[in-house]
Amino acid sequence: MTIPEQRVASAGGRAQAIARFLIPKIVQCLFVIWATYTVAFLLIHALPGDPILAALSLRGGDATTTDPAQLAALRERYGLDGPVWQQYIVNFVALFRGDLGISIATGQPVAEMIGRAFPNTAAVAVFALVVGFVAALAFTVWAYVARPAWMRAFVTQIPPLGIAIPAFLSGLVLISVFSFGLGWFPASGTNGFVSVVLPGITLALPTGAIFFQVFSAAVFDAGASPFVFTANAKGLAQRTVVVRHVLRNALLPSITIIGLQIGYLAGGTAVVETVFSRDGIGRLTVDAVLARDVNVVLGVVVVVATVYAIVTLIVDGLYGVIDPRTRTRLVGRKAGAR
Amino acid sequence: MTLIRSGGARRVALPLLAGLAVATLAGCAASAPAADSATPAADLPQDIVFALKEDPTCLDPQQSSVTTSLIVGRQLTDSLLDQNPDTGEIVPWLASDWTVADDLMSYSFTLRDGVTFSDGTPLTSEAVAANFDAIKALGASASLANGYLAGYAGTDVKSDTEFTVNFSAPNVQFQQGATTMSLGILSPATVAETAEARCQAVAGTGPFVLDSYVPNDAVKIVKRDGYDWASSLRGHEGEAYLDSVTFPIITEPSVRTGGLESGEYDVIQDVPYVDEARFAGDKYHLYAKANPGVPNSLVVNTSRGVLADEAVRQAVTKGLDRDKINVLAGSMSGKAPTSVLTSSTPGYIDLGDTLAYDADAAKKLLEDDGWTLGSDGIYAKGGQPLSFTVTAFYAQDVLEAAQIQLKEIGIDMQLKMVSSGDFFGAIASGDYDALGAGLTRTDPDALRTLLSTASASRWGIVDDAELEGLLQKQSQTADVAARQKIVDEIQQIVAERAYVIPTLETVQLHGSRAGVEGITFDSASRLHLYDAAVVSN
Repeated sequence: MTIPEQRVASAGGRAQAIARFLIPKIVQCLFVIWATYTVAFLLIHALPGDPILAALSLRGGDATTTDPAQLAALRERYGLDGPVWQQYIVNFVALFRGDLGISIATGQPVAEMIGRAFPNTAAVAVFALVVGFVAALAFTVWAYVARPAWMRAFVTQIPPLGIAIPAFLSGLVLISVFSFGLGWFPASGTNGFVSVVLPGITLALPTGAIFFQVFSAAVFDAGASPFVFTANAKGLAQRTVVVRHVLRNALLPSITIIGLQIGYLAGGTAVVETVFSRDGIGRLTVDAVLARDVNVVLGVVVVVATVYAIVTLIVDGLYGVIDPRTRTRLVGRKAGAR
Repeated sequence: MTLIRSGGARRVALPLLAGLAVATLAGCAASAPAADSATPAADLPQDIVFALKEDPTCLDPQQSSVTTSLIVGRQLTDSLLDQNPDTGEIVPWLASDWTVADDLMSYSFTLRDGVTFSDGTPLTSEAVAANFDAIKALGASASLANGYLAGYAGTDVKSDTEFTVNFSAPNVQFQQGATTMSLGILSPATVAETAEARCQAVAGTGPFVLDSYVPNDAVKIVKRDGYDWASSLRGHEGEAYLDSVTFPIITEPSVRTGGLESGEYDVIQDVPYVDEARFAGDKYHLYAKANPGVPNSLVVNTSRGVLADEAVRQAVTKGLDRDKINVLAGSMSGKAPTSVLTSSTPGYIDLGDTLAYDADAAKKLLEDDGWTLGSDGIYAKGGQPLSFTVTAFYAQDVLEAAQIQLKEIGIDMQLKMVSSGDFFGAIASGDYDALGAGLTRTDPDALRTLLSTASASRWGIVDDAELEGLLQKQSQTADVAARQKIVDEIQQIVAERAYVIPTLETVQLHGSRAGVEGITFDSASRLHLYDAAVVSN
């Protein structure tokens, strides 16, 4: 930070206010991450099945050994031999060293596996969020300006299809048409932007549908409000009314659900990554749960929970930018402190 | 070249009889010619895309026994010996000559000259010894390879090219095992790595070299320059025809088949049986071969439940219409199983009569045994219904077909589909009535692995002293004809007493576009890509 000396003092009060705003939220974030980790740890240990045998059978196929002595040796090697509470403490302490452990099933460091998969998933998720958001915006405006009423009703019925059609099916249809039929995009892999398009669109369909539901409700709500009536009455252009008065007021609830969408995307990518044969967080998680690969599951949980918590934090911060009422409160307290 | 090789084969023809050519004697059904020889088109790039059905997880062929991983691993490694998949004959590969001791407790090899690993180090006796020692040290991580090395007592290195592998007890399967990629020879540097590191990258003497492996994404292998030590079973000599093979990992079957049709993939692993007809025309090649070993079967636990009763087990065997199961759930190119070994296994004998479908005889067996048909259509005796559960982790369709057939004759078979880990968990705890699975091995010794009380990971729980004696005896018999007699007897006992109730011969079914030729199966129904070539677009 290179804040000039004379500004530090005046910035102090502001920083204090921001700290007062942020610190509880950060504590809340940490709690969310810890709680998710703990619940996931308990759940995976409550699952029946032996992680060592599950891992061995991935490699050993029909030759998997069930010799108790050899299994015990492996259990010790992967730190699975102690009582559950001991494993919990050992694993949890290791987290603070940034050590997510080693995957029992693949033998690779978990941090490396997640580091490899995360950018692939993030690319698809961000693409889906952007496309879904823009499409929802477009449909909302179209529905808002559409006349007559039956046309408006028709337009509002289109986006829900995106969530009604399972991603598995829409993904396969997109592959058949755009990969196998037209040859525009690859059907699989993680090579460059072209490989992001089809899985991104597949995920954008349900994401956009959810955005549209929230967005259109807020827009129609704002559209029926007195200030829009006034704006129309004083002769403002339709365009100005929609952009300045209607959309701006409808933005807030949409931003709020971005946090929820992240949770949805984490689950949704599992299906999309399977259909499009992409290495990613979703597929990693499914494989890890099936293989009782404790360390990978916990590693993914920690990373996804962290992303979720950070996004929520940013969204909370964005309220101040979008909604002046939140901002006033912050400024008001600052003024009071002076 | 060829002369020297066949000379080598002739020199060892006598000692080689020790255990290998069981197949020749048994008259194993020959399917396709040993090696299709393709001629690569000079004007086309010799690069293919081969879609795999799952992540190989571990590329080290000594550790993995999963087909997908072995398809890649086989191209990277060579073995000491090679086995003709049609005749069972064993021929030289990295070893130019070998002898088997009469007591099956030592095997002496002479290595071929001029072989190097892809990291530049030469193939020596020391390197081979290091490989076998390392497999022993890997323990449970290399269970199949350790099975072939059972009783391993060290390797005596006599010179750079001569060595003797010693065992503390007779080991009949080592010679055949030495032809598999499970005992493929890796470079000393690879062998010195940890088990985990070896899963990510291996260096062998094979016709291809690993270029890159991104888990869950793709594997790429490239041609090994200067390769000149293919076995005489291959269709050509020198370097591989293909410059590179890229293996994208495509888990969704419909994407694999669609990609083969659209030309995105040149070859695909595991064409679903239901799609077989789609690729039967002359625009595609289909590659089909039954897994050797024990066919997909119900392997019973005779220590509990209704399956402890021999009459019940025999009724189940007679109540299954295997031809119909094959039509419903099998490949068009597959056959119904006719023994407790598949027809592609050396030592197989036809027991079609014992395994023939006869619903009336099955019902009679049950009624003579005191079972009466209840009002619910299921037999019962003393209030106990004729019901058992099969634990399995794949081939649900096969089991469902069997379930319907058994229900028709009054036997209630329940299915318990679990993950592979839980399947082996059930084996470890002995908590099952029957297991539904097959065991892929290229030697009739598979039945000992499956059923012997002395086997570390046995599946079937059987208390039969006569069978146990025979299982042990065949594993210590060097004389081929004598061993075949014992193996015949074992198959008869296992089928007649219904310890193993076969359901389907699982067929490996792969497909390629017609412009790619020369893909062949080895004796374990895994693929060789050495002779493969792009011949047209």
